[in-house]
Amino acid sequence: MNPAGSPVTAPVIVAREVQKSYGANHVLKGLNCDIMPGITGLLGANGTGKSTFIGLILGLRPRNGGTLKVLGVDPQQSGPELRSLLGYAPEHHDLPGDVQAADLVRHIAQLHGLPRRAATERASDALWQVGLGEERFRPIGTMSTGQRQRVKIAQALAHDPHLLLLDEPTDGLDPVHRDDMLTLIKRVGSEFNINILLSSHLLEEVERVCDSVVILANGVATHSSTLQESRSSTAAITVELDSNPQRLAEALVARGAQTAIDGHILTVAHSSTDSTLNLIRDLVADLDLGLRRLEPRRTTLEDVFIEASQ
Amino acid sequence: MTEARIHDRGYMAYSGHRHHPRRAMLNLMVHTMQRVLGIKRTFWQKVLPVFTLAVAFIPAIVLIGIAAALPHGDTLGMESTPEYYGFITGALFLFTAFVAPEAICTDRRSGMLGLYLASPLNRDTYIAAKFAAIVAVLGVMTLGPPLLLLIAFTFADVGPDGAVEWLKELGRILAAGTAVAVFWAALSLALSSLTTRRSLASVGIFVGLLASSAVGDGLSTGAELGDSFALFNLIGLPFATVARIFGEADLDGAPLNAVDTWAIYLTLIGLIFAFSLFTRWRYQRIEVHR
Repeated sequence: MNPAGSPVTAPVIVAREVQKSYGANHVLKGLNCDIMPGITGLLGANGTGKSTFIGLILGLRPRNGGTLKVLGVDPQQSGPELRSLLGYAPEHHDLPGDVQAADLVRHIAQLHGLPRRAATERASDALWQVGLGEERFRPIGTMSTGQRQRVKIAQALAHDPHLLLLDEPTDGLDPVHRDDMLTLIKRVGSEFNINILLSSHLLEEVERVCDSVVILANGVATHSSTLQESRSSTAAITVELDSNPQRLAEALVARGAQTAIDGHILTVAHSSTDSTLNLIRDLVADLDLGLRRLEPRRTTLEDVFIEASQ
Repeated sequence: MTEARIHDRGYMAYSGHRHHPRRAMLNLMVHTMQRVLGIKRTFWQKVLPVFTLAVAFIPAIVLIGIAAALPHGDTLGMESTPEYYGFITGALFLFTAFVAPEAICTDRRSGMLGLYLASPLNRDTYIAAKFAAIVAVLGVMTLGPPLLLLIAFTFADVGPDGAVEWLKELGRILAAGTAVAVFWAALSLALSSLTTRRSLASVGIFVGLLASSAVGDGLSTGAELGDSFALFNLIGLPFATVARIFGEADLDGAPLNAVDTWAIYLTLIGLIFAFSLFTRWRYQRIEVHR
């Protein structure tokens, strides 16, 4: 079962050669990616096209080329029908200050097709779920930034979307509220079974809550995989000795390996993890060196991001 | 037996009925009418809409009272709809300049436009819903009092003679009230689409209407360039239209009295289209605040 509840694991978003320009400014230059069910992080530095891509997913703007399917339909062709199944929490913090949170959430739920009574009930439920149950009749203008962020999540959730688009949801939050927000997002994805596309430029929060990641750079998707794949895709072994690893490096090079030395740490590129580990173990024993650490090098999301952004 | 209580029923998926995406327009229209009228808002935000509605209806209520109190249903000659519009020009002017901009300026300023366009609404249906909301509220002011008068005077036996005349009068009221409401709504939206600040929009509409009146009258009578220049008077144009619908060409010696009826109708319709197309053009180009 996918998070939307249907027994398929088809991608929720399929982008093929998607292009978007504003005048002479080519923002998306042939973006290709499959976004699978679950929580996906859309990573990229500012100005790499994340918000433009979200705009295209919502069908707010026509694209200049390529094909885009969201929940199986083209946003450009079936925008209103598609958007009734999407939830969207924008990046900005401005919401009408004189409106009660419950009224705003109910209004947005009604716009997404819920009858008034159901919208009222679900608005109340959604505000409880995001931790604003007691505050739901307060005007939004009297709320803190963290509470407004929660109102934005609640209005995006109340109509039970199949896909939730969150644009920089922790922007402007202090560390405590940021932590709460990430916990809430994780809960929405795992407990509520709602697919989430989380746009962010913060690696740490994507690493913490997401199942998959798509990295945008220069208008194209330069990396797309699950976080597990990203972390396990190592091609090097780290060796830490209690002395200078120069002799070990020379011995490895003599056997055709590629090495790099950084203080007492030696990085060895490999094609086969097991055979290279065995080789290093044997050489360390033969050379009578003190071994502190020997492990496949773990690729961090930061490594992937830096590589994908170049 | 112990009592069991559910403290948290968790997140529940929704499997109930969903309206067609087109219904979003109606929801936005009703929501906008409520906001414009100050419903569910603070006391001070209700003052101006309530005041303008009162200014629009009180003369009608007073006239009905007079007709009821005076012998033989005397209406003091105030049963004419075009003359009634003269009474409520101020209310319509105030509403158009100071209340209607609330319909769209605040959405752009507060970022609600981004949320609306992420819903089943699109730019065209959003503007159409806003336009319909302003027309509906203005329609209460332009149609309500004349209809109230028509019904009251009919009961006081000073209304139109016979069913045919009565229906003709009803048709004229509907046409005139709708024309005025649509014109002011189109004008208000077009000028409000230029700014996110409601106060700036109000000043723009206020100054623009007064300036158009001065320019229209100045060119037609002051500079004597011709009566047609009176069509520039955007305050006088809708009321001249009402007068022509009721077959009255004389509006207190206004320069528009000398302009052909078809020219007045065409100008009004043309301006409604021009204002509407301008608003649409503006909204097609507005970058949504994300």
